Amino acid sequence: MTETGRYLYAIARDLDPQVLAEVPALAGGRLEVVEHRGLTAVVSSVDLEEYGEDGLRRNLENLPWLEEVARGHDAVVQATATRAPTAPLRLATICLDDDGVRERLDAWHDALEEVLDRVEGRREWSVKVFARPRPAQVAADSPPAAVSGAAYLQRKKAETQAREADEGTAVAVADEVHAALAARSVAGRRLAPQDPRLTGRADRMLHNGAYLVEADEGDAFATLVDELATAHPDVVVECHGPWPPYSFATLEQP
Amino acid sequence: MTGTVAVTERDPGRQIALVDLLDRLLGTGVVLAGDVVISLAGVDLVQVRLHALITSIRAEMVEPR
Repeated sequence: MTETGRYLYAIARDLDPQVLAEVPALAGGRLEVVEHRGLTAVVSSVDLEEYGEDGLRRNLENLPWLEEVARGHDAVVQATATRAPTAPLRLATICLDDDGVRERLDAWHDALEEVLDRVEGRREWSVKVFARPRPAQVAADSPPAAVSGAAYLQRKKAETQAREADEGTAVAVADEVHAALAARSVAGRRLAPQDPRLTGRADRMLHNGAYLVEADEGDAFATLVDELATAHPDVVVECHGPWPPYSFATLEQP
Repeated sequence: MTGTVAVTERDPGRQIALVDLLDRLLGTGVVLAGDVVISLAGVDLVQVRLHALITSIRAEMVEPR
């Protein structure tokens, strides 16, 4: 006989469990809810061989496993968040049993209510700003003939200064874009820029922003992003959404 | 799309890129901060493993899959 634990996907308020009927749970399980003090935790049973301490240690290193769990977790959070105020849990949050889930709901109760108040009727949008690669113009500008050492050094210095000015401008543009978007959102956060090896693009990510936007203002927000992108052709702006409020469900506690 | 305007994805049915998802599901301070896994594993272990994990994903994802 294998031991099982309760995997927590999200905690919601006013959630009709029926909406989860068609949503698949991780590991071929079935989604269930644990209700306590007006909060609803969305859970399913998982095998502790796979999701216990040793299992997680092993499996979290396994990218295909991780992707499958992240996708499955996200699908449940999406299904919940489109229908009720939802605080998503971090990946692989597991309690031993339903009593453990209720203890968590007790311990987090007031903070959860605050989070749910904050995200209710709102969605998260992601806006990233990338530096546009500087076009190589040196070859066209300079004569092919040999240049003197002093002229060469001077040109190098000018190139470096121009590049630094570009960088400075791009960073300033990213700050400006963030300020404009934050002013139009309920809340804005700057996440750590992603590594170019992960984004798969050579352009440096200058800004990785998350914005909490009223659900019915999504179109206006996306339009503002378009306007900002048009106004700043020297950077590349990417916008994705709407998503569940992943970046705005942080509990204000240690 | 000329490349000077924003690349905007407004289809809610579209999958979130894995990188963005992991940023949010594993990132420090992101999403509910409680480590329920504490009951199974030490807090430190979870924190450390997640950091190690992110590093390993970053390395692994550059490889063609």
